[in-house]
Amino acid sequence: MPYNIAMVSDFFFPQPGGVESHIYQLSTKLIDRGHKVIIITHAYKGRTGVRYLTNGLKVYHVPFFVIHRESTMPTVFSFFPIFRNIVIREQIQIVHGHASLSSFCHEAILHARTMGLRTVFTDHSLFGFADAASILTNKLLKFILSDVDHVICVSHTCKENTVLRASLDPLMVSVIPNAVVAENFRPAEPRSMKPIGPNDTITIVVISRLFYNKGTDLLIAAIPRILASHPNVRFIIAGSGPKAIDLEQMLERNVLQDKVEMLGPVRHEEVRDVMVRGHIYLHPSLTEAFGTVIVEAASCGLYVVCTRVGGIPEVLPQHMTTFAKPEEDDIVLATGKAIAALRSNKVRTERFHDQVKMMYSWTDVAERTERVYQGISGDISPEEFYGYYPGEGLEASGDRVRSFALIDRLKRYYGCGVWAGKLFCLCVVIDFLLYAFLEMWFPRANIDIARSWPKKVHQRNDNHTLGNDPKNDRDRLDTN
Amino acid sequence: MPSLSDSPSSVPPPVPVETHPNRSVGLKEQRALPDPTRLAPEDAYYTSSLPRARPTSAHLDDSLRVLNPNAISASSVAALRSPPAVLGAGGRKEVRKLRGTSRRRRRKGAWKKLLWVKQSYPDNYTDTETFLDHLQRNPRVRPYDFWPLVADSTVIVQHVCSVAIFVCCFVGIVQGRVSPVSVVCWGSVGTALGWIFWDSWILREHVESVYVAERASEGDDGSSASSMTSSGNPSGHTSGSRQGGQRESQVHGLGLSMAHHVAHEPMQRQNTGDSGDADGSAQEPASPVTGSASGSLGGLSHDPDMLPMLSSRNRQRLSTVKSAFLIYFALLGLSPILKSLTKSTASDSIWAMSCWLLIMNIFSFDYGSGEGAGATKFPASLSTNAAVMASTVLASRLPSTTHVFSLMLFSMEVFGLFPIFRRQLRHVSWTGHVLLTLTLVLVAGGAVGITLRGGWAAFVVGSILGSILTALAMGGCSWWLISLQKYKNVVTGPWDPARPIIRRHWD
Repeated sequence: MPYNIAMVSDFFFPQPGGVESHIYQLSTKLIDRGHKVIIITHAYKGRTGVRYLTNGLKVYHVPFFVIHRESTMPTVFSFFPIFRNIVIREQIQIVHGHASLSSFCHEAILHARTMGLRTVFTDHSLFGFADAASILTNKLLKFILSDVDHVICVSHTCKENTVLRASLDPLMVSVIPNAVVAENFRPAEPRSMKPIGPNDTITIVVISRLFYNKGTDLLIAAIPRILASHPNVRFIIAGSGPKAIDLEQMLERNVLQDKVEMLGPVRHEEVRDVMVRGHIYLHPSLTEAFGTVIVEAASCGLYVVCTRVGGIPEVLPQHMTTFAKPEEDDIVLATGKAIAALRSNKVRTERFHDQVKMMYSWTDVAERTERVYQGISGDISPEEFYGYYPGEGLEASGDRVRSFALIDRLKRYYGCGVWAGKLFCLCVVIDFLLYAFLEMWFPRANIDIARSWPKKVHQRNDNHTLGNDPKNDRDRLDTN
Repeated sequence: MPSLSDSPSSVPPPVPVETHPNRSVGLKEQRALPDPTRLAPEDAYYTSSLPRARPTSAHLDDSLRVLNPNAISASSVAALRSPPAVLGAGGRKEVRKLRGTSRRRRRKGAWKKLLWVKQSYPDNYTDTETFLDHLQRNPRVRPYDFWPLVADSTVIVQHVCSVAIFVCCFVGIVQGRVSPVSVVCWGSVGTALGWIFWDSWILREHVESVYVAERASEGDDGSSASSMTSSGNPSGHTSGSRQGGQRESQVHGLGLSMAHHVAHEPMQRQNTGDSGDADGSAQEPASPVTGSASGSLGGLSHDPDMLPMLSSRNRQRLSTVKSAFLIYFALLGLSPILKSLTKSTASDSIWAMSCWLLIMNIFSFDYGSGEGAGATKFPASLSTNAAVMASTVLASRLPSTTHVFSLMLFSMEVFGLFPIFRRQLRHVSWTGHVLLTLTLVLVAGGAVGITLRGGWAAFVVGSILGSILTALAMGGCSWWLISLQKYKNVVTGPWDPARPIIRRHWD
């Protein structure tokens, strides 16, 4: 059965990034599967109000105060009136928030629960437990996820992290990886034919924002040593960031300008053109929840050298990657191994593209996400969705299917902590009162229902849209 | 989900990447009782228990009885996880079987912690073996010992005491019991003494480092006198003279250089003491004499490039004196302005503000030993600024320009220079550090006593009471900190950003 889904996040186009394209791709594929998807984000510069993207994807850009790196101000309640309006107008059933640093998404999940909607949260990042910022973020996440219906993580490491951070039941957390649009990351045709000779130049590509946590320091340390021990190696580095200066200093100090090409920032659609110029993709990141870029690189037919951190070891099979410890020596060693493997033509990089295409696709992601939606809205029985353990004295508890009763919700929030629990309960009660007030002041009856984007005709062949077709046709007739 | 075997793919069968020690060990039966230092999945969301020793299968019933009431109360926590992690290995196998039959398709093959493999398990499947198997708790905990902790707390005691002494001096000045000039005179004498000590320590350290470098260069080859001058030897006349000795020793033979060095040591110290006592620049003419006297054994002592130059060590001293005079006269000139700067502010506000500023000073003070990055790193600027501002606002309550000048100078000495000296003293001599702490505690206690009551009896009583209180506080706080360690729970895992290991060899 098709659902009306609202994706909520601070991060969306025109800002580029992994979360942004994840939301867009997932929404597009869900629309293809017959669901109705809207996206709610905050207003970007020069982009306010409602926009339609390809495939009838509707984006609400809500004016909001942005504080830091496109995150909005965490006001607990101020988003509620307009959010309620949008949700009623679009007849939303499921609210799906993205990214744990987006306060927009946290607010939306809280309000959606107050309004009696099912909620899903997707976590795209890893957090530690040590520093003050993480502690604050984790408490906030615990608050929000106390009452969420299901959580999606992009890797198993991310799942472990989220389960710990938010004290979740592990069965309420699904792992659905990111994907790549394999068509956009095809390998270069002519090169894949001819094998690499022992004296041919091997080009190593690095595409990453040049930040500390992307391991730029390791890169800076490793490049001179790699170039010193392998004469026929060139580097192409794309990306910008605060560490770019250090990198350039290193190049000048070692006089490596003719061997290392710095491209500066590249647009996401140009990434493929940069990647296909190389043979090896080097990814020295220090923390990574999934690492879409290494999948993209493998899809372009590059052999991947990456650090064994975060979720990266889960992402690619061993014949496509060489893993290194996040140490300078080990990265130099691993890169040397990778170069040797390529020179001896042991690695069949020309087959990577088709293999990656089979491993990751957004259609698959959308299918699996749809199963989550079915599970939380009761279209799959809880026993099937969460697993059933008979005869153990612990029946699959009813608490996984989150009831909307205020008292049950308060119970869940109360367990968040000695003081935090009471504070969170207070917030929820105020939110509930605000909802009652809004229902009185702006009654539902006065809010218009937005007309849905007409479905494409060829989609009728799809199993999932069949049941919906008569209604769709009628809609279309009406509009005509 | 299409199974991998159905698809006509060229993907080879999944090789588990070596991320799972448990998995790679192989069979589930081999897994013995869970490692008590590691968390089980149910510990993750089950925050209230976090047991160190997890219940074994024998105690399953008990553990469930314990778990259940909590599960009801802690309702943020979802339903209890399935108990396989608690059950023994056989029980878990049974569970796996049951679960398998409850689904339409029988599961075949073990679950793998991989994303690129299409597995026949649901997305929310939680593998009890590999879930959280990389989690570590308190991996790098260093338990505190009582006495080292007490010893370390002396640094804080010293600073608090010096702040207390400053406040008492101010109160004395305001109440007219103490002459501001005498305060600043004693302070200046102390500062000068401190500077002399400091200077000699620096010199000795420097000499030692040069000595080490010499030893190294001698080890390399005999002809490295020039490299020695360039390598970390911005030295004064003493080392210049010693260099003369060194060259001479090279002329005569390498074996003698050590004896020469030892012979020069006391002379250098003496010389430093002299030059520090006076302006430093006044003694400058004497230094070539010393150099030539000590180096006159060999004919090489009259080094043409050494003699006319003002040695860098003395140049540094000269610049110190210069800046001291600069500050002195600037303060003298600024005193009338400082005096009237916050005159219009009510006294209550001044007291409150200076209180807060001094508290800020104490809390933001850099108590580190500074051994990591240079032994004489200067204290954090925030705390110094707070203290200077506190004394500035306090100065406006004083009656005359002399008073203001004295207080400001005194505060510079106490908050700006004294910490540097204390740090160096601690670095150089532990006995001196303890003695200084003791003195400061006694003086601070006595000063508080005099301020409150007046008279020498109050001084003695204050000193005794102050020392007892300080000792109790030091012991109590240390004990408290140790007793708080049991709440320490550091969780690390693969999600933490890795610490890159880099050898900075290309610099």
